[in-house]
Amino acid sequence: MYDYQGEPRSDLSAVPVKVVVADDDALQRAYFSAILTKLGFEPHEAEDGCRALDLVNELSAKILICDLEMPGMNGYELARRIRQDSSDHYIHILMVTGQNQRNEREHALEAGIDDFMAKPLDTASLTARVRSASRLLRHEEQLRERSRIIAEAKERIEDDLRAAANAQRRLLPDEHRDVGKCSFHAAFRPSNILSGDMFGYFPVSEAHTAFYAVDVAGHGVHASLMSVALGHLLTAEYFTAHAFDAEGRPDPAALVHGLNDRFYRDDGTEYFTMFCGIVEHASDRLYYCQAGYPSPYKVSLDGTANEVGDGGFPVALLLNVAFETRNTPFHAQEAVALFSDGATEAENFENQPFGEARVEAVLKDVRDPAMIPDKLVDALDQWRNGRTLDDDLTVLVCERTPQP
Amino acid sequence: MIKTSVHEDLGLCVVKPTVERLTAANATTFKEEVIALLDQKHDRLVIDLAEVSFIDSSGIGALVGVLKRVGTRGEIVVCNLASSVQQMFRITRMDRVFSAYRDVDAAIQALKERA
Repeated sequence: MYDYQGEPRSDLSAVPVKVVVADDDALQRAYFSAILTKLGFEPHEAEDGCRALDLVNELSAKILICDLEMPGMNGYELARRIRQDSSDHYIHILMVTGQNQRNEREHALEAGIDDFMAKPLDTASLTARVRSASRLLRHEEQLRERSRIIAEAKERIEDDLRAAANAQRRLLPDEHRDVGKCSFHAAFRPSNILSGDMFGYFPVSEAHTAFYAVDVAGHGVHASLMSVALGHLLTAEYFTAHAFDAEGRPDPAALVHGLNDRFYRDDGTEYFTMFCGIVEHASDRLYYCQAGYPSPYKVSLDGTANEVGDGGFPVALLLNVAFETRNTPFHAQEAVALFSDGATEAENFENQPFGEARVEAVLKDVRDPAMIPDKLVDALDQWRNGRTLDDDLTVLVCERTPQP
Repeated sequence: MIKTSVHEDLGLCVVKPTVERLTAANATTFKEEVIALLDQKHDRLVIDLAEVSFIDSSGIGALVGVLKRVGTRGEIVVCNLASSVQQMFRITRMDRVFSAYRDVDAAIQALKERA
């Protein structure tokens, strides 16, 4: 899908490489220049260290040949100054030293010299060293080119991921909406560009309103693709067709069971947790199937909060497991608050998780269900000191609106 | 990321993940290392979670992946579950999938009796 050949921008062999030759001896300079020109390089002469430094900078030269002893700035100092400058390319420095200058050579290596040539200089050794430097230059150029191509590819992939994330977010319903005698309030905070969370709510009939939340295990592209697939699949029609028993009673476990069969793979590692609820208005009851999703809380205006459900198998993890439909009274002016494990597992600087108790405290403190998602997000932001969450966060509140 | 001690006489192996958190960040590595063990014919395992204080859904996925790989030819039990790990096992019903024991000795004892 991604084919990044990239076009080579410069061909080293086509443009002569600039070489600065620094020596106070004019004859020596001329000798170097003549050989370099013959080898296809472009020599530039400098009579001392200061001039050499200027030339290297002006010309963006990539090779410097310098004498150790020069008036003013000597070879060590010149090398040190060049290494201090943070140039975007590496400058290869060859130094000309006298015979048997072992100590000098150690100093020179520390100062940043790459290679040495001993006086008196012969054409063969100069040629060999300059060629070795230009091999390194070519290698460096290739690496730079490769990283440019990688950076471009990364940018393209990130653009695509952002587009995918937008598409994913468009699947999510509004943060506040009244649906068939219920009001829904939600918050969603992805930890990455892409998220494995998905949720939805809709009227299934005059008598029933449904909602669900899904958390795909893991992060990234795999998880988000599965969550998008589920977001498309789980519609009012799907609930009508799969979440009721033969007598027309809500049976969300039947729907979850169907998803388990559909998404399970023997060799698969992808699975998800889910909470699936159906409000039956006439009986004031909530029918639900909890499939590995954290237990939500039922909150009342009087400030009580009670856990709903005690667990259940996740979906698509194991075949032939039983999913259960349970029900609980759910009256007007009560609300059920779902939150993904991104809430309880969020850690502060001391690696302490936020935990159920703190979630419960926030829920008890907020008397208006419409405020629950934002309050919980705020509390987590404070807990995290503003750092992004490590896991996706979904908060979904289903509030039963007062009956007229 | 796992420490193993083989009990040749009992035909079982104790596997100890040496991480504090078994999560999406390391679950795949954990699974691969344990599966490598299974491939060396160690298929009666005690997974000692003493050092693991937190497990997420990917960690659970890795454990189940290992369990599926063992299938009916071997056995896997867990022990030393921290309270948050127990909570995760309960909410995902993994407490019905894996036999959990207080410590390594109890787990070994149980496997011995089942042999």
